[in-house]
Amino acid sequence: MRRTPTTFRTLIAATILTAAVGASSTSFAQQTRDGLNPTGQNPTAESVNEEFLFKQDPKITGRISIPDGKAANLIQPAGRDYRDFREWWLPWLSALAVLGAIALLGLFYFFRGRILMERGPDTGRKILRFNGFERFAHWMTSSCFIILALSGLNYIFGKRLLMPLIGADAFGVVAQYAKFSHIYLAWPFMIGVALMLVLWLKDNIPNKIDIAWIKAFGGFVGDKHPSAGRFNAGQKMVFWMVIGFGSAMSVTGLMMIFPFALTDITGMQLMQVIHALIGIAFIAGILAHIYIGTLGMEGAYDAMGSGKVDLGWAKVHHDLWVEQEQAKNASGPQLGRHQVPAE
Amino acid sequence: MARMKFLCDADRCIECNACVTACKNEHEVPWGINRRRVVTLNDGKPGERSVSMACMHCTDAPCAAVCPVNCFYTTADAVVLHSKDICIGCGYCFYACPFGAPQYPKVGNFGSRGKMDKCTYCAGGPESDFSTIEYEKYGSNRLAEGKLPLCAEMCSTKALLAGDGDMIAEIYKQRVIKRGYGSGAWGWKTAYRETVAI
Amino acid sequence: MLIKRKTSGPGRSFHPAVAIGEAPKALDRRAFLRNSGLVAGGLAAAGSIQLGSMRKAQAAGSSAIGPEVTVKKNICTHCSVGCTVTAEVVNGVWVGQEPSFTSPINRGTHCAKGAAIRELVSSDRRLKYPMKMVDGQWTRISWDQAIDEIGDKITGLRDKYGPDSVYWLGSAKFTNEAAYIFRKLGAFWGTNSVDHQARICHSTTVAGVANTWGYGAQTNSYNDIRNAKTMIILGGNPAEAHPVSLQHVLSGKEINRANMIVIDPRFTRTAAHATDYVRIRSGTDIPVVWGILWHVFENGWEDKEFISQRVYAMDDVRKEVAKWNPEEVERVSGVPGEQLKRVAKLFATEKPATLIWCMGATQHTVGTANVRALCILCLATGNVGKPGTGANIFRGHTNVQGATDMGLDVTSLPLYYGLVEGAWKHWARVWDVEYDWLQARFDEVPAKGGRKSRTRKESMESPGITSTRWFDGVNLPEDQVDQRTGIKAMMVFGHGGNTVTRLPEAVKGLGKLDLLVVADPHPTTFAALDARRDNTYLLPICTSLEMDGSRTASNRSIQWGEQIVKPAFESKNDYEVVYRLAQKLGFGDKMFKNIKVVDNVPEAEDILREINRGGWSTGYCGQSPERLKAHMRNQAKFDLVTLRAPKDDPEVGGDYYGLPWPCWGKPELKHPGTHILYNTNLHIKDGGGTFRARFGTERNGVTLLAEDSFAKGSDLTDGYPEFTMAVFKKLGWDKDLTAEEMASITKTGGANIDAVSWATDLSGGIQRVCLDHGVTPYGNGKARANAWNLPDPVPVHREPIYTPRPDLVAKYPTRPDERQLRMPNIGFSVQKAAVDRGIAKDFPIILTSGRLVEYEGGGEETRSNPWLAELQQDMFVEINTGDATDRGIKDGQFVWVSGPENNAKAKVKALVTDRVGKGVAFMPFHFSGWYQGEDMRKFYPHGTDPVVLGESSNNTTTYGFDPVTGMQETKCTLCQIRAV
Repeated sequence: MRRTPTTFRTLIAATILTAAVGASSTSFAQQTRDGLNPTGQNPTAESVNEEFLFKQDPKITGRISIPDGKAANLIQPAGRDYRDFREWWLPWLSALAVLGAIALLGLFYFFRGRILMERGPDTGRKILRFNGFERFAHWMTSSCFIILALSGLNYIFGKRLLMPLIGADAFGVVAQYAKFSHIYLAWPFMIGVALMLVLWLKDNIPNKIDIAWIKAFGGFVGDKHPSAGRFNAGQKMVFWMVIGFGSAMSVTGLMMIFPFALTDITGMQLMQVIHALIGIAFIAGILAHIYIGTLGMEGAYDAMGSGKVDLGWAKVHHDLWVEQEQAKNASGPQLGRHQVPAE
Repeated sequence: MARMKFLCDADRCIECNACVTACKNEHEVPWGINRRRVVTLNDGKPGERSVSMACMHCTDAPCAAVCPVNCFYTTADAVVLHSKDICIGCGYCFYACPFGAPQYPKVGNFGSRGKMDKCTYCAGGPESDFSTIEYEKYGSNRLAEGKLPLCAEMCSTKALLAGDGDMIAEIYKQRVIKRGYGSGAWGWKTAYRETVAI
Repeated sequence: MLIKRKTSGPGRSFHPAVAIGEAPKALDRRAFLRNSGLVAGGLAAAGSIQLGSMRKAQAAGSSAIGPEVTVKKNICTHCSVGCTVTAEVVNGVWVGQEPSFTSPINRGTHCAKGAAIRELVSSDRRLKYPMKMVDGQWTRISWDQAIDEIGDKITGLRDKYGPDSVYWLGSAKFTNEAAYIFRKLGAFWGTNSVDHQARICHSTTVAGVANTWGYGAQTNSYNDIRNAKTMIILGGNPAEAHPVSLQHVLSGKEINRANMIVIDPRFTRTAAHATDYVRIRSGTDIPVVWGILWHVFENGWEDKEFISQRVYAMDDVRKEVAKWNPEEVERVSGVPGEQLKRVAKLFATEKPATLIWCMGATQHTVGTANVRALCILCLATGNVGKPGTGANIFRGHTNVQGATDMGLDVTSLPLYYGLVEGAWKHWARVWDVEYDWLQARFDEVPAKGGRKSRTRKESMESPGITSTRWFDGVNLPEDQVDQRTGIKAMMVFGHGGNTVTRLPEAVKGLGKLDLLVVADPHPTTFAALDARRDNTYLLPICTSLEMDGSRTASNRSIQWGEQIVKPAFESKNDYEVVYRLAQKLGFGDKMFKNIKVVDNVPEAEDILREINRGGWSTGYCGQSPERLKAHMRNQAKFDLVTLRAPKDDPEVGGDYYGLPWPCWGKPELKHPGTHILYNTNLHIKDGGGTFRARFGTERNGVTLLAEDSFAKGSDLTDGYPEFTMAVFKKLGWDKDLTAEEMASITKTGGANIDAVSWATDLSGGIQRVCLDHGVTPYGNGKARANAWNLPDPVPVHREPIYTPRPDLVAKYPTRPDERQLRMPNIGFSVQKAAVDRGIAKDFPIILTSGRLVEYEGGGEETRSNPWLAELQQDMFVEINTGDATDRGIKDGQFVWVSGPENNAKAKVKALVTDRVGKGVAFMPFHFSGWYQGEDMRKFYPHGTDPVVLGESSNNTTTYGFDPVTGMQETKCTLCQIRAV
């Protein structure tokens, strides 16, 4: 095929044409003079120029005989806006988001300190919070995320921070591996997000209890612990953030893995912008998640570590879930002192 | 000092694609990589013009700016080159480039875009001049021999001009004055933030 | 290994445009490396993914001194512009191309094909060794076996069916020398069925132009177009077909602010640069030209002095032109009267004006008449024989002009001597063989089909079958073919199989042949049509880049090309193959009697010397290999516009570049060649000339000689006939001949010395004396507005056979059925049947065809070149947006293009564009390898299939032949297009 026009142009041509066909008379001589068969004009004087074309469209596109459709773009100054975003806005925003998140968490830690486990009658007894498969899904996703985040940040900060330290060659190697890992680990990450969606969707449907939980600031402020199901509203937020951001990252990421498969240069630029912006928000969000799951709260880590949490802790933080679990089966899924005899 | 530029006189360009195959020939560029291409605007209609386009070797090149690994560098002749050893094939330069210059060989199944390839202004790459490795990675280095890019040298109608920006702008200016028309120095505003005033 | 190294050595010389300077912020290569190498090695050493190999380029300025580079110059094979190709060769390998800045023709430039030509030589898709088809399978054989078997087979056919049963199809890509020995081979074999691509590109030009003013060639040159103030390009798209010519066209347009008028059914890439574009209906060139002339005569814009001095019977044209008033022109061609008035005024009054045409004018059933009308337009406005004027006919292949000159033509021996007894006797003298022996080689034809029998002498003087009809010569009942039998064997040298119209008929013909031999760098379409099971041979021939020899560009400049590299694989050059065949056929020694042969390869220089010895009629006598080589060495000395070297140059002083023919007399005479034909403002010794007095001295009491017009410095100040000894004696100029010259003339003339002419005098004495007297050897005649020997002496409009306007057929019918060139031409019956059956309703779209810049001819060679093939990967049809919408066709989708004959159909992609008008479709003609929707890739010998295959446009083309030359109609037939 010689030259592929844009659909847009075809559309315009077709519109003009339909009008012209309707208007034209049947005589051959007249047909040759209508708009379809231009004759007699001065093609030299009528030549198109850059200014004129830019008035019609922000980028200049023509026909090209090679099958690479994107090569038909002659000039797309929008690359400049993309550059402004990538080289000015993005580093600042990223730095702000990442460092800001760390700073906030630091402040929180400084003022609130580690949330300690409240001792109670059930302290010391364990209840199974996440089974092996759930933990596998979590850790697969999260380990991928960490590498994706680091390698992603490398696209922004690598040349600014790492490259001066280790030199261009070494950095080239690092960056190359980072790029490979970013692309290849995207797949297990996407699978992980999908798994988590399937596993935990039913426990993450927002409900009224969440409102109360939020009103009580989740117990972070004050002494009282609001009620919560398997997941409290905060955790639900993390879940929905992971699902939402994860899907967005997946879609935009896939578009970049298969560049130009579904969109043109403008679309690609947009994909990259979205991917980067959500990416840094995601990182900031996950930093908080990591904080609360580890340093921020005593006992929380066990949920994903061994899968078993302290029953006392569970009753405080997820009272409704513990009740539910215990109601399902007198002994519940917990292990420990009240081991249910086999029936 | 010399500031190398390209200027395609669209009133001379006839889309003969000599620039494209000259480039393929000189650098043994593989199938699917098009360091240079000719785009036809207003195809088949009065006012049709064709413009040969490759890397314009921009002033303050966007590709270099967005590169996450800083693999670009600008030579003393203002030619924008890059190191394939450092390039990771991320594709950002393509998004930033106003002229669609960067090309990526397909390697592997997905995502593994190879290292970026683009017009070198026939100036090779960071390897030592005329070395085999330079030729294999970047193609030949005509500039170091005192020759200009082959695409421009072989242009059938001398539409594509290459050389010092001031000199080619002057050549173009004289042409336009002589013939009385000119559709302008395509891409100059975007690439060099200046145009040829006549 | 260093893949590419240059000649310039270690010293660096910078182009003037490159000033060396230090940029304040710019990093040079080494600074960049230093900065980036803070932790050099380190991690890089660990890299295993093609990263660690970067070596530090600390060896400052260690410009590698590579192996010895030799530079060779040859000529691009892809069109007739004659671009010099400069090749860099290392150890026998062609490693790079450099711009040929010194060539005055291309000045360093190329088109896509020329810039990619290196690939032709190294292509792994070439035919690598001789092959033979055994029971449908390609099998490798040796050269000896191939020549033996082919020789035995054609000898057998000759014994059984006579020499005319073997058809010799030559090539426009031959060098002059190869074309010449190929024609000679045909003569020694005993047939005139020797043809080549000129048949299907400019045969009508040669016939039309030669019948107007003497020689069938471009009158001026590409470079000379720079002088024009107005140019009309009619039926040509040089922007794609001859891109380098556009350098001169556009420069001329710019320098002179010239008018550039493009007349074409299609808004071509050339038209995009025009100052006026005239869209016409395909096949209405004569109405348009007469329409222009109508305004010229109406307004008195004609050049009256020129007409009275140098043109015969312009009044006959006036009568015909009077019929073409603006209304009738618009009714027939669709062009408004006002527009043609403007064109007429520009062409006639803003002079010098030149007329450029290509195959849009020639490939028609009225091709010769079209060309004649165009010549008449030049004559009426006085636009011939001066700088910036003339008929600038752009031809198609490297050497299509030269191959035509060398007589690869069914109607002539080399150099347009024709087939008459005098011509045969002249060449018998040059070849040093007995005329009687040559005659004995020809066939006796018994009476059949109501025609009389033919003696050997009559056969010898009877034109052969044209290449456009070879398969008709196979398929038609034997009583319809005017020779003993039909064609039984095809010897195809360098000629595509898909370039001739009516491909389905050709496929039928291929199947019936007793023998098919294809000698070509590529297997060509002939090999891949799946028509044969055995008796088919493929001979690998090298490209002309791999051989020495001369090529004649369109402007008649002859350029010597030197072998760049040795023939690739087992391929051999044309000289060797012709020689071996001649040896096998038993007349090799006779044929190469005066030509040096080394290791079975005849020497190109020696062949050219033989051409010089016999080429008087066309002035091919002065271009010795030594002079041509000197021109290639001194290219830089020739002026860009005049093509002339300074007179004081020791080697090429005063010469025009390439010694454009006619280059009179022996080489020692140092005639400079003729840049502009028929230019009376120059002395003949400076390349001046007059119209050729080729058609007698008077007709019906009216003189055919020029009146009051003569070339500068001529001793005769009026018209004069061509020079013979009889004329010399009358003028007393015979005294000026030397004793040796007289001896030679006496030997030639025998009893009738008076008949020895400028064209048959082997001593060159007559030409030498003519030059001394400032007269043109061929006489000083008038150009003919009325060519009484042609079917339509004054061109008249005739509708195409398959016309979209059946209503016009009654008034403008095609010519009645006739017999021409041994074949019936039943165009009239076909046209009548088409009108009666209402073909134009079922096939409402005009189908025309043309070139793409990336490919050439049948395209096997260029489609095998990945650098070119990448740029055009699919066969397509251009269809107007309106026609596409009516049919629900989208850009880029597959469509069926069906034709009115043979239920022909072709599956191609649609390119929806307004480039073609409504009711018009365009297909490029370079594709093949698909046939009626089927991919034929598997039928190519393994590894020789071109990268890109596609339907041939000729799958759907139809009947129609020019009555003079047998030219095919490719530019106007009908089709229907439907979405797949």
